[in-house]
Amino acid sequence: MKNKINIYLIEYAINAILRQKYKSIFITTIFTLLVFLLSSIFFITNSIKYELNSTVDALPEIIVQKVKAGRHYDMDGDSIDSILSISGVSDAVARVWGYYYFENAGVNFSIVGVDSYEKQYKDSLANIVEKFDLESDKPSMIIGSGVRDVMNQNYYKDYFNFIKPDGTLKRVEIAGVFDGDTNLESNDMIVMSKDLVRDIFDIAESKASDIVVKVPNPDEVPTVVSKIKILYPDSRIITSEDLKVSYQNIFDYKSGVFLALFVVSLFTFFIIIYDKASGLSSEEKKEIGVLKAIGWRVDDVMKEKFYEAFIISFFAYTLGVALALAFVYIFQAPILQNIFIGYSQLKTNFELPFILDIQTLFLVFFLSVPIYIAATIIPSWRVATLEADEVIR
Amino acid sequence: MIELKNITKKYEINKNNTTIALHNINLSIQEGEIVILKGASGSGKSTILSLIAALSKPTSGEVIVDKKHISKLPDNFASIYRRDNIGFIFQKYNLIPTLSVKENILLPLVPLNLSNKEMEEKLHTVMQKFTIEHKKDSIVKRLSGGEQQRVAIARSYVNNPKIIIADEPTANLDERLSLHFIEILKEFKALGKTVVVATHDPLFFGLDFVDKEIEIERGNLLL
Repeated sequence: MKNKINIYLIEYAINAILRQKYKSIFITTIFTLLVFLLSSIFFITNSIKYELNSTVDALPEIIVQKVKAGRHYDMDGDSIDSILSISGVSDAVARVWGYYYFENAGVNFSIVGVDSYEKQYKDSLANIVEKFDLESDKPSMIIGSGVRDVMNQNYYKDYFNFIKPDGTLKRVEIAGVFDGDTNLESNDMIVMSKDLVRDIFDIAESKASDIVVKVPNPDEVPTVVSKIKILYPDSRIITSEDLKVSYQNIFDYKSGVFLALFVVSLFTFFIIIYDKASGLSSEEKKEIGVLKAIGWRVDDVMKEKFYEAFIISFFAYTLGVALALAFVYIFQAPILQNIFIGYSQLKTNFELPFILDIQTLFLVFFLSVPIYIAATIIPSWRVATLEADEVIR
Repeated sequence: MIELKNITKKYEINKNNTTIALHNINLSIQEGEIVILKGASGSGKSTILSLIAALSKPTSGEVIVDKKHISKLPDNFASIYRRDNIGFIFQKYNLIPTLSVKENILLPLVPLNLSNKEMEEKLHTVMQKFTIEHKKDSIVKRLSGGEQQRVAIARSYVNNPKIIIADEPTANLDERLSLHFIEILKEFKALGKTVVVATHDPLFFGLDFVDKEIEIERGNLLL
């Protein structure tokens, strides 16, 4: 009884690949590199998008900032009362925060003030407040893991001396290190009591850096925004959607650099494809002619060429994807990750979350394997449909 | 029976230039006959072989094999016709040099997807017949000219064809090996195969077991 799959044809295809050892190795290497690069970019993209979306999703719906001469100024803390009176607003919190430039390391820390008695506007902050005591007698702070590394490198293991605007020092103890759900955002963050932040940045008691506003119904956000704008014409109102777009833009810019690299690789790939599609070598043509002369049909030749192309391309695809998975999720994408998420002043200790999107795998597959198979089959078909006599001669 | 009726074959060299390989020729070969086509290079011998093997189509005229108009067969049917009826021995053997003897001989059977047992039986039969079994796993490019020719003959015979076609089979062989090939022709005759050989090797002329010797000159049969 005949088997449905012709093992001899597959054997012949494998032999044909091995016969052209160097050519096959070259094509497989280029193909694998392309799939690897393409998959790595997609894997990193997916992970960072996931991380950014998680970050943005955790943010309040609206942030109100005072703007004067185009610059961000501290605003009156009592603005909260009028904002809270707007229907649709469930909560409003006055934030006290700022960037502290640590000259020795050449980095900025984001210092965020919290009040243990207030309801926190972010779950991550609520967790920190719950976990650590920031209201102790000694001024203390909780730092992100990236901040800890920078401080350790500068011999600050238990405390840090902040230089206040008047030039005096403020010693603050390190009470703990937090690992945020979203490392991307929290890596450069320091959390301390609001009073301490006011002291370090010289912010008056009545002032706040900005006000975050909670609006449970997303449909009401535009109305609330317009009402705040009427109340405070000198304010800049940022919605979580605006932030999402802003993050996305930064990220897309980074992707652009890689897109350029990717285009170069793709170009190389298509040169190979073009080379294959533009014709076969005289030996390859002759072989097809001989096979036809000894009784192979065009379909048989096509099947054999399909197996040949499929074996090479599928092997390279699998290898490329496997290498990309290892590179991105085991080795945390050295070099590539820095290019993508290097917008923070601190070197982030960011772990790419494992997001395996089947659609991505399909996309990479369809961008590579069928193109290569077609590029192999079409010229072979052209030769196979010629008169065998013409090809052998 | 093979019949070539009013065959003309032209090859287009370029748009303004064609060459006529065969001029309105008529030829009839009976089943079991051994026929030698002789003539100088470029006389049209190989073109006749190509037409009989359905490797090319005549410009005009008809090729009929066992009452089938093979010159009108679509490409896929022409391949099946060759697979079932024709064993072709090429001048330069046209083996796949990097495959083994066994793999080369089995090539015509690959599309048939036979069982392993059937393949092995057929392989064993032809390799014994043409005394090449001891080289079964050798890579063809490492064989001598005579051994390569035996592989080519075994390959042409593995599908047990009715018609065996040989194009200048001794062009690359010395006299001893050429005489050996002639012995093989005798065997084919004994087996009832129809054999058409195109050659200009004098060793093939005047052989007692040959049924017809046909001379060709510039695309015309000299009767």
